[in-house]
Amino acid sequence: MIIQFIQKITSISILGFIMSLSMVCNTFSQTDYSANFQKLNSRKAGISFKNQLKEDANNNILRYEYFYNGGGVAVGDLDNDGLEDLFFTGNMSSNKVYRNLGNLKFEDLSRKSGLEGKEVWTTGVSMADVNGDGLLDIYVCYSGKGDPKERGNELWINQGNFVFKEEAAEYGIADQSNSTQGLFFDFDRDGDLDLYLLNHHIQVINELEFDEAKTIRHPYAGDKLYQNDNGKFIDISEKAGIKGSALGFGLAVIASDINQDGWMDLLVTNDYIEPDYLYINNQDGTFSDRITDYFQHISHFSMGADIADINNDGNPDVYTLDMLPEDNERQKLLYGPENYEQYALMIQKGFYHQNMRNMLQLNLGDGSFSEIGQLSNISNTDWSWSALFFDATNSGNKDLLVTNGYFRDYTNRDFLKYKGDYYFKQAVANEKADTLHLVTTMTSTPVHNYFFENQGNLEFKDRSLDWGFEEKIFSNGAAYSDLDNDGDLDLVINHLNETAGIYENKGETGNWLEIQLKERSKNTNAIGAKIQVNLAESNQFYEMQPVRGFQSSVSQRIHIGLGEIETVKSIQITWPDGALQVLENIEKNQRLTISKEPNSQLSSKQKAEPVLISSDNVPPFIPQSVGFNDFKRQPLMLTMPSYISPSLAKGDLDGDGNPEVFIGGTKGQAGKIFSFVIGEWIPYARFTSSASVTDAVSIFEDFNNDGAQDLFIGSGGYQDYIGSDEALEDRLYLNDGTGKLTKAPFPNYKFSTGTAQAIDINKDGYFDLFIGARMIPGRYPQIAASKILINDGKGVFTDQTIAFLPQDGKIGLVTSSQKMDFNGDGFDDLLVAGEFMNLTFLINESGKTFSDQSQKYLASPLSGWWGSLALGDFDSDGDLDIVAGNFGLNSQFEANEQKFLKLYSADFDQNGSVDPILECFIGDQAYPFPSRDELLDQMVSMRSKFTDYASYSKAKMTDLFSSKELDDAQILTANTLESIYLENTSAGFVAHALPKIAQAFPIYAILPIDVNHDGHLDLVLGGNQTFTRIRMGLIDAGLGLVLSNDGKGNFEALLPSESGLNIKGDIKSILPINVDGQTQLLFGINQQALQLFKVK
Amino acid sequence: MKSLKIYLILLGLTISQLVHAEPKSPNWPKIYADKLFQLTEIMVTDVASPPVAARIYAYATLASYLTIQEQGVKFKHLSLLGGTYLAQNSWSTPNASLKSPEFAAIIAMLQVGEAIMPSGYLLKERQEEWISEALKAKIISKKELQVHLEYGTEIAKSVMEIAKKDGYLQLSTLTRYTPSQGEGFWYPTPPAYIAAVEPEWKTIKPFFIEDLAAYKPTPMAPFNLTEGSSFHTQLMEVYTVTQELTEEQKLIANFWDCNPFMVDFSGHMAIGIKKISPGGHWMGITGIAAEKQQLSFAETAYVHALVGLTLHDAFISCWQAKYETNRIRPETVINQKMDQRWRPLLQTPPFPEYTSGHSVISRASAIVLTGYFGDNFEFIDSSETYFGLPERPFKSFLLASEEAAISRLYGGIHFRDAIDEGVKQGEKIGKMIWERTK
Repeated sequence: MIIQFIQKITSISILGFIMSLSMVCNTFSQTDYSANFQKLNSRKAGISFKNQLKEDANNNILRYEYFYNGGGVAVGDLDNDGLEDLFFTGNMSSNKVYRNLGNLKFEDLSRKSGLEGKEVWTTGVSMADVNGDGLLDIYVCYSGKGDPKERGNELWINQGNFVFKEEAAEYGIADQSNSTQGLFFDFDRDGDLDLYLLNHHIQVINELEFDEAKTIRHPYAGDKLYQNDNGKFIDISEKAGIKGSALGFGLAVIASDINQDGWMDLLVTNDYIEPDYLYINNQDGTFSDRITDYFQHISHFSMGADIADINNDGNPDVYTLDMLPEDNERQKLLYGPENYEQYALMIQKGFYHQNMRNMLQLNLGDGSFSEIGQLSNISNTDWSWSALFFDATNSGNKDLLVTNGYFRDYTNRDFLKYKGDYYFKQAVANEKADTLHLVTTMTSTPVHNYFFENQGNLEFKDRSLDWGFEEKIFSNGAAYSDLDNDGDLDLVINHLNETAGIYENKGETGNWLEIQLKERSKNTNAIGAKIQVNLAESNQFYEMQPVRGFQSSVSQRIHIGLGEIETVKSIQITWPDGALQVLENIEKNQRLTISKEPNSQLSSKQKAEPVLISSDNVPPFIPQSVGFNDFKRQPLMLTMPSYISPSLAKGDLDGDGNPEVFIGGTKGQAGKIFSFVIGEWIPYARFTSSASVTDAVSIFEDFNNDGAQDLFIGSGGYQDYIGSDEALEDRLYLNDGTGKLTKAPFPNYKFSTGTAQAIDINKDGYFDLFIGARMIPGRYPQIAASKILINDGKGVFTDQTIAFLPQDGKIGLVTSSQKMDFNGDGFDDLLVAGEFMNLTFLINESGKTFSDQSQKYLASPLSGWWGSLALGDFDSDGDLDIVAGNFGLNSQFEANEQKFLKLYSADFDQNGSVDPILECFIGDQAYPFPSRDELLDQMVSMRSKFTDYASYSKAKMTDLFSSKELDDAQILTANTLESIYLENTSAGFVAHALPKIAQAFPIYAILPIDVNHDGHLDLVLGGNQTFTRIRMGLIDAGLGLVLSNDGKGNFEALLPSESGLNIKGDIKSILPINVDGQTQLLFGINQQALQLFKVK
Repeated sequence: MKSLKIYLILLGLTISQLVHAEPKSPNWPKIYADKLFQLTEIMVTDVASPPVAARIYAYATLASYLTIQEQGVKFKHLSLLGGTYLAQNSWSTPNASLKSPEFAAIIAMLQVGEAIMPSGYLLKERQEEWISEALKAKIISKKELQVHLEYGTEIAKSVMEIAKKDGYLQLSTLTRYTPSQGEGFWYPTPPAYIAAVEPEWKTIKPFFIEDLAAYKPTPMAPFNLTEGSSFHTQLMEVYTVTQELTEEQKLIANFWDCNPFMVDFSGHMAIGIKKISPGGHWMGITGIAAEKQQLSFAETAYVHALVGLTLHDAFISCWQAKYETNRIRPETVINQKMDQRWRPLLQTPPFPEYTSGHSVISRASAIVLTGYFGDNFEFIDSSETYFGLPERPFKSFLLASEEAAISRLYGGIHFRDAIDEGVKQGEKIGKMIWERTK
């Protein structure tokens, strides 16, 4: 073993490690590394451990809730021979310890060492040098329904040579809780290891007892924090702010310095309704659960978890597992009705936004997180237990293992709905019903584990089947370790009812380093230390904390993948007490043991000022909340079209040089105008609007050619508007020259307006109007005719749609538009986009008509779920380019040239209502999106077609409808969900995807503006979608995003600390205004106060 | 009347044949009840909600009744349909005199069940069974089978034509229910928080009731948690009564539970435990009475249709009241304001509280059954034996209906006024129907 001591005093700026998102973790993408895990023949390896369950009258899922949760794994060098040894826990079978003999051979020393445990339900295990004598000790957790006295947890103190002595009682941690896992860490930085004990309840709490249960500490279910006081552990849970209610169903605990303040924080995942806890270390011996401050939504039935820096930006990212399957069939068997009332109750009772899927909370620094599990392609891994991020390919990016599988398909909806028939049928047959029989005859579906390769761009690629995880099996606890010391990480997985698996990594891997830390304190392995590996273009970040995944404890060494790199410039170690040590010029492919020799000091943080600076001086418009649930009207829609406000527009109505800003209203609250006068926003008295309308778009222009600005407002929304609603009429307010706005006669067509352009179509010098029709409330997605309204010069508009627009105006569900002279003929043309609609170029034919010439400007049609458009010269070539905001990639939906999203609609059941049915790809096949309950609720005829969930779980559109019905239906499509930059070239517009993080949310507002004064137009983007179907969940990853442009159309995302934007909510509009001689940006956020930012 | 003579001749033939073939005539009330229970089993599987189940019973029993009526058989009482909106309806029935209207009537009932229920296809097999039973028992011959089947099918079709126009198919076009804001309003209840069941059921066409407004219950006690208020007193009654239940009261509550879908949770595992609906229970009682009285098939079909149609009208009226009042359930208010740990003995059903459905429909059914069979008709109710409950003797239908009503208090799912006013509502509906039919 090579031991290096490197001493050099260096000053390191922590900020230096924070990299822009777009730059990170693409360092090694040029080389194709691979992992290839081969499961060893267990007999040859000497492994016989099998977590075998025996289901009988006394031991079954009905008696014990967590009967199928499985066992754990711990790895660590128990005899300090340089090879990491193995420990397995068996729920009902004996625990086993194996000495690593090298060359992947193991010797069973369970009996000799006395580590077999007791006849009590065994759960998690961790290895740590608890007494600081340089030997790893083992802490084993117990649970089950038996006598609490029998299930005290065990602490096996290592005496050397595989001799162990159980001393939990002596240390004060023979705790009788229903424990899942013990995690040792030094939370108070006093140099010894404390213990967080993760527990779970063994009974389900009825929902309405929640309020009471929350307030009471449960002796066996509540988690505990033990402080190490000279070798005696003292329970300080209550004092330290650790929650201990009976609602806790703790399944994983991970320690990490999440806020990067030098003190260990904790993530605790909870099954069922109790939210996970994110305990931030207050540095004073206490913790505060700050999960709702840090995360905007979380996984629901949270299980295993891991925390690791997945994008090499120096910030630990948080990943929690849940139980959403990947394939259509298992999803359809799982999804029930959407229950908005239950969800509202959950929110009201403080259980927060929880959704059933894995969540990846990308750490953007400063306590800001964006949940991008779906964007990253790691959200659906079925009933998942362990998550481990580690660099299996030594590429420099951490890959991901997810173990999974549940022995019985309890969540199958048919079980809920139809298994109860068993009792009835037994009674009719005059036979006794046996619930255990019911349970043990439930189907059992083994599934393959998931392995994902980190692509280095926030995306993970599913490699499960290529890299050795094709076997269908039940898997629980897991750990990684370089078991054969060959420079790559191998895997150990505890399977249910099968022999545990050792998976040797035989892949084509890159260079590597392995570091073992030696502290001088009692925390001999330096748990809580941080390692920063500084490379040319990125930095890798690791935390020394072996308890990860589920009920398990991984290698005690830090394994670093280097890809092609031969020599590492420097490695910075932050020891648990904060001391810094820097190693320089480290050669590849070696195993280092680093003893603590601090040689560096932390430089003071110098924080660069962000480009946008928040200002309090916002117009005093306080939006009211509105309570419409559009899905009650059309249950098969995907998002709610009522929530579009506020629209923003600026003008100068009274010609005093001070801007007026119109803030759009929504049904229930009228829109208002404010003037900026001597540093203050004053309500503008000479305009009133109505509270019955929803303002979708607003334009200040001189429409009657009298030199004074008038105001056009397009009325949109959905709410409870009916087709003949006056509230759907667009309005024109003419300025009398003094600034007084009066409603003028205007064509009274009625639909929900999506967009409008003031455009002089016929070049007569007067602004005409293009009005984009978004939808007909209650009849989504029927297409209404968009309008061309020609201005006679006096502000009198006539509807000339038929003459001007193709398809008599029925061009799509229009949301956005821009005007621009695409062909340079002097006549302004239109660019139009919408939901499930092609990006459409309407070319103005000399003021006579518009023709759709999209194919001339685009190599192939770009149909999307478009929400916004903007123009600007981004590549500095003198012509205008386009930015188009789409739905983004952070959802369950996928669309590309091979996989169209198709929105079918018709009154299929001929009862007078429009039935919109989305068909989307799941894997290689397209299926209807609605769950069985949703479909059957909307269409009576489907109730006899799909009498159970199983029959619907394989159904395709052609099983729902005849080919004639499908042929006759209206079909709208989308072939991309990416938000794009369209570069204007001589060969038309060429699409480039915006940076990955800009795909994490739907974009509804785009402002091209040079925010960093480098002469190039940057982009400020806003979006998100809170009003989705429950099972889609909140899409809230956007915090207001600034993309800086290098002048060639290459965009780079700024972090919140760089941009200054950290807006939670649905941004609907961004308006630049000039006040006090300064450019400021006004953000319109749905149902929230406006936010104002000054451009630095 | 046209085919009465023929029928009598046929009846004579049938009897003589049966006498010839077997010593006694078929136990028609039992056969009828067994066949109707085949529909009930499917409702249980499909989890038909109480109002939906009543609608199914109404059209299915109507089909068997109509078969007999169209064959010109004379009933003890007036035409059942004379008092309904279908009085003037002309039914397009084939011009055939059947040897066994009974056989065709059961076919018609099973076919309506097949058409009207999601899993109705399961009744195809039941029809095959019935055909072979009937052939074996020489109720019909092979030669006569076709004409009987055609007749039954035609009847089922005409009934389904009526059913298609009663508003049911329009329900999914209406805006879904949103709970009212404010105190005292219904909100989905634990443990499954199932969405409101059929909030727009008032739009379904009843058979007898012309104006739903005429059967609205007296206004309920307003939500008021001040001590001494009627609501508070009733609230305390539910709270205390349910904590001092005798074994007999618990049995009563369970006996009349009739919850088609009780969700039993155990962690991630949830099972729906199923029972027959309130309507199913009264259909059961009707069958028991018919058998006890040894009614003819025609009368059996008559009284089942009478109760079936009554149930349907009573549910529509009750459901209108429920979604006009939107009253909170005891469980919600007790958990919110008094005692988080309190649980009702029965799982709270997923719809508003006022009036008690079981009270309304039990009383309405008991009134028409009393009218038909007479008061103090003793019977042993074995409807719930398949659901683990014992047989239960009753001195009269009215006493049974009173027990059904008060069971909701013991079960902790209704307040007193919803029960008392529900009984009155049901009584009014029942009396109106019986007046028109007797």
